[in-house]
Amino acid sequence: MGITFDNLSFKYSENLKPLVDKLGWSVDRRAITVLTGASGCGKSTLLYLAAGLYPENSGIITTGHVLIEGKDPAKLNPPERCRLVGMMFQNPELQFCMDTVRNEILFCLENIAIPQEEMEEKLRFSLDFCGIRDLENRALLSLSGGEKQKAALACVVAISPEWVLLDEPFANIDDMSARSIAAALGKLHKEKGVGILAVDHRLDNWIGIADNVAIMKDGRIIPEEIDVRNANPEKLRDLGIIAPGVHYAPSIPQPTPSDIVLEFHNLKACRGKKEILHGISASFRRGMIYAIIGESGSGKSTLFGALSGIFPYSGKALLDGKDIKHLKRSEAGMIGFITQNPQDQFVGGTVRDEILSSLRKDPEAASKSEEILRAIKLWRYRDISPYLLSQGQQRRLGTAALIAYDCHCLVCDEPTYAQDLMNTMAIMDALCREARERNIALIFSTHDRQLAADYADEILTLKEGQLYADSESSL
Amino acid sequence: MRTLNPACKFISLLAVTLLLAGLKDPWWNLSAFLVSLLLLLLSGIRMRTLLLYLLPVVLAAAGMFFTGYRFTAESAMPVRSDTFIFQGNSQLMNGILQLSRVLAYAGLGYLFALTTDRVFMVRSFQKQLHLPQVFAYGLLAAWGIFPHMALEYKRTKAAFRARGIRVYPVSPALLAPLLVKSVRWSEELSIAMESKGFSSNARRTDSSPVRVHARDILFTVFCCIMLPVTALLTH
Repeated sequence: MGITFDNLSFKYSENLKPLVDKLGWSVDRRAITVLTGASGCGKSTLLYLAAGLYPENSGIITTGHVLIEGKDPAKLNPPERCRLVGMMFQNPELQFCMDTVRNEILFCLENIAIPQEEMEEKLRFSLDFCGIRDLENRALLSLSGGEKQKAALACVVAISPEWVLLDEPFANIDDMSARSIAAALGKLHKEKGVGILAVDHRLDNWIGIADNVAIMKDGRIIPEEIDVRNANPEKLRDLGIIAPGVHYAPSIPQPTPSDIVLEFHNLKACRGKKEILHGISASFRRGMIYAIIGESGSGKSTLFGALSGIFPYSGKALLDGKDIKHLKRSEAGMIGFITQNPQDQFVGGTVRDEILSSLRKDPEAASKSEEILRAIKLWRYRDISPYLLSQGQQRRLGTAALIAYDCHCLVCDEPTYAQDLMNTMAIMDALCREARERNIALIFSTHDRQLAADYADEILTLKEGQLYADSESSL
Repeated sequence: MRTLNPACKFISLLAVTLLLAGLKDPWWNLSAFLVSLLLLLLSGIRMRTLLLYLLPVVLAAAGMFFTGYRFTAESAMPVRSDTFIFQGNSQLMNGILQLSRVLAYAGLGYLFALTTDRVFMVRSFQKQLHLPQVFAYGLLAAWGIFPHMALEYKRTKAAFRARGIRVYPVSPALLAPLLVKSVRWSEELSIAMESKGFSSNARRTDSSPVRVHARDILFTVFCCIMLPVTALLTH
């Protein structure tokens, strides 16, 4: 028994080719399995099919079926289905219905008709299991990404399904939170016998937890399964998997540092009433690449949000000697932003408009936009809305649009978020090459220390609201 | 007020609102406003918070006073000044009537909004007023999205500014991405709720059943029967 995909084919609409193509695969409940593969290869789709959420919510199964413990999840009603298979999603922001952790867990227990007198005990057990008893009455909105994922896990523990499926559960959280959640999942598997199938691009959080790695390519599972503990890092790299100890091998020119373009002097920033950045000072030079790393909630997004005007700040943030707060509208674009979610930066009605909006002042905008779109293989989609592109395509468009813009400093908030090895390298190579060639400062944030070490000239660590050069942060 | 059954509270306060709408008596309106303030303070709402909430109300009330004062109905109008109870100085009284209405409705509205927990309210509406559960929990989930919307609005605005494009607060270019995102969010949220076993028609249990107590019945009877009868007798 386990999860069985039997000759399964699935497509999102009649006129598209199948994303899952005659797939046959069995997942053993006795092992924790991680499914990986290139972005857009159909991993998440496969997970949604196993969870019974597709085809009910989207797409068509053209052949075959999925069985979990001998049952077709799509034919069960939601309360029955969630007792068979629970799911944790990539985005911790959009998986809660209630206001507090307590109410959310009770909501889950009510859904599966647990008697009122048993609820308190189950609630306590799930909170203790995930080590979040102190968060019981906290508002979900006030939790960090890692805490939200722990709350989501507590919901799964409370429901106690036979299987748990995880769709990139660590994409939004720092390594420490990721490892503690992975450890809790390992415990859930060992103590409760819960089957676990996770989709992830990065394997380092699963070391010591997962038993097998399966790779998906072109809608199918590659026959060989990899033992996570004994896998050769180079072999993993060849398969496009981001594994610990594997270098990214960037192909970018050497740095030629020139004058300072961006400076912070005693920069303090708040989110709501809480001060997140406690007076940071730093300077960034043209032609250099800087990585900012730090745990979830350390203030990376707050720093970038303050620079883009989303969050208020005090102190000074100077771009070419001018305070960012006082830049004229025509000067605001001198600092470019690539956001974690590419949809946050779209301003055009069509794919081509998106590029053209960056080239407004260029007399050769039309021909240049064609050149750029052909280079990122999106020319054929030029007249459709950027929101209709796949996530990988949106990421390419977002990056290309900002690269096309004539800025002095490019700030990227997790530009490789939820990307596979090949896409990660392609995005970083393009960004870094552009930064070198145009002699602009590139500042990017990441949770991946290896990525920072391989691409950045300087690594800065945000810790407890302070910014340290990497060698200082460990002091 | 915080422990009153929200459905009973809602019906009671709605009845008082309708009663005041029919009375056209500024003293009843002002009394309702003052009682609402007193109950809010007794329910633990801080004076500072209350004053902040009342600021726009006072401005609106002042505006309504001057509108009522300036545009009193003349005898040729369908609604004449002599239909008002106070005829000593109809211009002034018309202004006071408009002002007191704003204060009374705002006071009653705040009394409900500031003393009612939203989860408790939805549970109560579902149980006592038979609100469909898909609507009740959809409402709660949507509530959770509002803070994200405010942040997304700022992000989208920042994206335009970063490319030197000027946008106005309600410009379609700015609202289009927000609409796309809200549709996407609602889809993700409904999938997440379904994966946690939520169904519009399956049987659910209740972790803290919302019951109607004697005090809820007393409050409802007072607001829905005793007050209208008193109003009828005194007018």
